Amino acid sequence: MRRTEYPEALRNLIAQLRQMPGVGPRSAERIALWIVQNKADAPEQIANALRSTRESVRPCALCGFFATQELCDICADESRVVDLLCVVEQPTDILPLEKTSAFRGRYHSLGGRISPLDHVGPEDLRIQQLLDRAAKEKFSEIIFALAADVEGEATTNYLVDLLKGKGISLTRIAHGLPAGGGLENADELTLYQALSGRTRL
Amino acid sequence: MLTQLQLRNFRCFESLALELDAGFTFFIGGNGEGKTSILEAACVLLRLQSQRTSTLSPLVRVGAKAFAVRGRFDEHALEFSYGGLHRRLKFDDVDQRTATEYLRLARVVSFANVDIELVRGGSDARRRYLDFLGTQIEPTYRSTLRAYERALRSRNALLKSATPRTREIAAYDAPLIENGTRLRDMRATIVDRLAPFVRQAHHEISVTTEKIDIYFSPGAAEDFAKDLAESREKELRLRQTVVGPHRDDVDLFVDGMPANSFASEGQQRTLALALKIAQARVFAASGSSPLLLIDDIFGELDPDRRNALLRSLPNESQKLVTATSLQWRKDFAEGHVFELQDRQLHLR
Ligand SMILES: Nc1ncnc2c1ncn2[C@@H]1O[C@H](COP(=O)(O)OP(=O)(O)OP(=O)(O)O)[C@@H](O)[C@H]1O
Ligand SMILES: [Mg+2]
Ligand SMILES: [Zn+2]
Repeated sequence: MRRTEYPEALRNLIAQLRQMPGVGPRSAERIALWIVQNKADAPEQIANALRSTRESVRPCALCGFFATQELCDICADESRVVDLLCVVEQPTDILPLEKTSAFRGRYHSLGGRISPLDHVGPEDLRIQQLLDRAAKEKFSEIIFALAADVEGEATTNYLVDLLKGKGISLTRIAHGLPAGGGLENADELTLYQALSGRTRL
Repeated sequence: MLTQLQLRNFRCFESLALELDAGFTFFIGGNGEGKTSILEAACVLLRLQSQRTSTLSPLVRVGAKAFAVRGRFDEHALEFSYGGLHRRLKFDDVDQRTATEYLRLARVVSFANVDIELVRGGSDARRRYLDFLGTQIEPTYRSTLRAYERALRSRNALLKSATPRTREIAAYDAPLIENGTRLRDMRATIVDRLAPFVRQAHHEISVTTEKIDIYFSPGAAEDFAKDLAESREKELRLRQTVVGPHRDDVDLFVDGMPANSFASEGQQRTLALALKIAQARVFAASGSSPLLLIDDIFGELDPDRRNALLRSLPNESQKLVTATSLQWRKDFAEGHVFELQDRQLHLR
């Protein structure tokens, strides 16, 4: 006897949902059942939101943060200090730093860090864009806020080597971030202290 | 003290539970019954690493996805499960994000037949010996070692790359030097602390008056940064990092002669034992008596050395001992005896 299964369409939906981060087979099934059994139009609204964010949200042309225009809100904000730049690994590292209100300059996200063991080299990161900005935007100081682990440190060293001797003061946020942890896991106080206690390189 | 131990899908055991007491506990059984596996489970539970292998995946029972070990040590509940990418740690039933607090609890020293490799084998056995000790007495040892190894492997990957990666290699110099210097200093201190205990233990268990010398031999010059800079040419030729703590060693001498090439097998075994007893005494001196895992070494020794060894083990330490038989134990009646048969334990 053939085993009864969900219809093909529903099974396909479950398989699609499983591609999402943090969604295992169990939760994929629960979400799919919620979608097909929903009596209001919540699933349609989610579908619309998916489509419109996919169309409208993209990386900021300058810093790599999330934007709906060519520039993100931070880069478009004329009231920000123009000669200060903070370099981070990921665009998601920017919001936790913003929450501290300790920094009024602009950002540059690299999109990762140099990691030979993960086959990520400088050419895979937004390093050329950083050099272009450093040549154009007349920064007085560039602050490096990368993770306090081996790859974070090496990437900072690499960038410092490229940017030194250009009359820009190069600093690194103080360590004290959880060892081996990225910025998104740190609490605000730790980040605030790390930002205030940055050191010259 | 380890009072309870439970294994699930660990090596040959689908499920096994036992209660333990202070002093000696013996595990008796034929070859392949699972004696070593029980000791290994105790080591993995307390130290999250095996005394035998550097990876944990071979410990998962064939056909299972993950193993779990659980137990009680000094009134604390420990639990560790492992299945490839999945790792889970519980300390007193609370999930742990890092191993720091968990690893603070217990110390382990493992004695095994292969210990002779410490004396006559390659330097990696001696570095592993220092690391096994270091991670248990120095809270930052583990993270420093890991960071050093990561920097080293990254750097070596860059040195092997087809296109020149000079600037990237240089970027990894600082983390390599920083962590490498710290690691070297910690290892040097450990050898200093070990040396008097090694001499003392050796004196007690050998029936001779041989003089033992033990020196730390660093894999880079005192100024690691300078040494690294000067080795650049050789690095590019050999496509790997040629100086640093990955070349550290411990030099051992018996009566002024190198122990690996000159000492007899019996002398080598005795020195290896002394190295392990010294490890236990370093822990005892720092205020925590280690759990001793003694795997199949009593049978090899003549009665004199066996008794000398028993006397030289820290009295207050709990000891788990394996053997294929206990016939040699006529003169020694202390402790519980478990017999292992068909993956079951029977208290004798
Ligand atoms: N991952 C695994 N899955 C299943 N069985 C395993 C696994 N690893 C090891 N074994 C088996 O477990 C059995 C017990 O091994 P163990 O080393 O504990 O035996 P032992 O009692 O110490 O033997 P000996 O006296 O020879 O040292 C062996 O038959 C071994 O092949
Ligand atoms: Mg064995
Ligand atoms: Zn921007």
